[in-house]
Amino acid sequence: MTDVRVSMDPGNRPGLARPATAPWQAKNPRRTAKVVLASVAPMLAAAAITLGFNLDPAIGLILVFLPLQIFASVWVGRNIYGKKGQADAMLVLFTIFFSAFVGVLLVSVIWSVVVQGLHAMSWQFVSQNNTYITPTTSLEFGGVGAAILGTIMIVGLTTLLTVPLGLLVAVYLTETRSPMRNTVRTLVQAMSGLPSVVAGLFIYSALIVGLHIGYGGWLGSLALLPLMLPTVARVAEEALRLVPQELRNGALALGAPAYRAFLQVTLPAAKSGLITAMILGIARVIGETAPLILTVNNANGTNVDMSQPMAALPTYIFQYVRYVYDTSVQRAWGAALMVLLLVAVLFTAARIVSGSSKKAKKPAVAKAASDKRK
Amino acid sequence: MTVETPHLRAKDVNVWFGERHVLRDVNLTFPANQVTALIGPSGCGKSTFLRTLNRMHELIPSAGFAGEILLDNKDIYAPEMDPTQVRLNIGMVFQKPNPFPTMSIKENVLSGLRLSGRKAKDAEELVETSLRRASIWTEVKDRLNDPALSLSGGQQQRLCIARSLAMNPEVLLMDEPCSALDPGSTRRVEETIMELSPTMTIVIVTHNMQQAQRISDQTAFFLAEDGNPGRVVEFGSTEQVFNQPIDPRTNDYVNGHFG
Repeated sequence: MTDVRVSMDPGNRPGLARPATAPWQAKNPRRTAKVVLASVAPMLAAAAITLGFNLDPAIGLILVFLPLQIFASVWVGRNIYGKKGQADAMLVLFTIFFSAFVGVLLVSVIWSVVVQGLHAMSWQFVSQNNTYITPTTSLEFGGVGAAILGTIMIVGLTTLLTVPLGLLVAVYLTETRSPMRNTVRTLVQAMSGLPSVVAGLFIYSALIVGLHIGYGGWLGSLALLPLMLPTVARVAEEALRLVPQELRNGALALGAPAYRAFLQVTLPAAKSGLITAMILGIARVIGETAPLILTVNNANGTNVDMSQPMAALPTYIFQYVRYVYDTSVQRAWGAALMVLLLVAVLFTAARIVSGSSKKAKKPAVAKAASDKRK
Repeated sequence: MTVETPHLRAKDVNVWFGERHVLRDVNLTFPANQVTALIGPSGCGKSTFLRTLNRMHELIPSAGFAGEILLDNKDIYAPEMDPTQVRLNIGMVFQKPNPFPTMSIKENVLSGLRLSGRKAKDAEELVETSLRRASIWTEVKDRLNDPALSLSGGQQQRLCIARSLAMNPEVLLMDEPCSALDPGSTRRVEETIMELSPTMTIVIVTHNMQQAQRISDQTAFFLAEDGNPGRVVEFGSTEQVFNQPIDPRTNDYVNGHFG
């Protein structure tokens, strides 16, 4: 007999080397092959049938591909994991199929705007205004410069007015114990159902018809306010609600008056949520057309006087999409692409601002400290 | 002020939440520069009582209160008293460490001053002495500008103690300050309490009998029986409460027969 002595030193025992693969990472080629087959075969078969019988692609997708894929997934699921695998395969299949469906819809909207809008895009289209331009004018002339400026000014003024107001509503809803909170919350929610054309009509009838004030950019800002307010207030409320109560108590226990506890502890802790509230609010109103048609009217030239009619991107789109001429419709597509870009730029900028301020904070504090020492 | 002066006194304290009577006729005296432990089973109202001592109690909706809390013979619930002033004099450390996440370690220590609208004469020195008194200085002195959340749980709790100490309160209330901490951190917090006790009146709620015996000069045993409001069953020097309790229920509790 060979001498089989096991060392008592645990590090020295034979067979303790770590296996190359953990049990749960072990490869099973047959299983992998089945899964690949079940993922690829129905797609190929459905493509062949759809093309072979010259079916409508939508019918091919829903009536040929989906049943084949369900059958294949359920079969493989059952084959590998038994009955449980069957239900699991269905769930995975439907989750992927329908989320892909929604994803395709979203991408195709963005895709068509980008592809169509790029025809019109050029530096001159971005920078010039709309003076002397008719629906049939070649795309080499004129552009949406004035409309971009007008949209930024009108939505900017709306933001300046609405964000403080929305924040106040959110503070009222989260930081006070007023018995009116539920009423206010319901009213704000009801406001989010207000049709934008009604908001525009209200300003139109009250100020333009009623008080004989001429069309102007600031009236557009007023009309957008009730549309933006519910979004800002609701998202800001959620952001403030997420700040743990312990932090507020911690501040109050240090002898802070409620307003300082809010400004110095709650508000900074909720900052990124509040910036999201602002961005979502802007995104909500930047494409609104009806209120602007009713209150701002339109202008072809560049105008920075907010008491006068101004150009804006949504009204520009509305103006040109009504004609059948290619040049006209392409101008509308170009303006639509500009709206998308504007939102994207704002979104990125806000994310960078809210992200970088955290990193930039440390040096700023260190600097303040060293300044004090001097 | 001599040591014998009752520094903080609770007179006939009764507390309600809504219609529910949760504390009844609590009379306790906290002498200056002594540590008082509040013990008792869960739900007996000891934490609630602690929160009445610096008016944090009134921040709970539906809270009711009757009685007097006398700090240096002045009722902190008197109409002319400002709750924020009360809380400046009577600091509080919570069960769960709650450093301010948007601030650095240093800013957390100075946050009390900023939050009450004051300026530190010598911020650097105040930061150092406060952190030293909370016995965390050596661990953080090289990273005062790091975010407070980069600290471990035990360090965060001692930072919260330092934050309260920076305000130089007369009384420090602690609501189970070690219940979320490991034994090592607990020991350090206890050492901190022992070091603070010659200069500060401390009231601490604890579920840990050994802890109460180790750190406190006097102990109050709270009990709420069969849905009745909580009340103080026994109050005296820690030694007496633990070794020669008068009430049999105290004896049962401190010896671990219930609770």
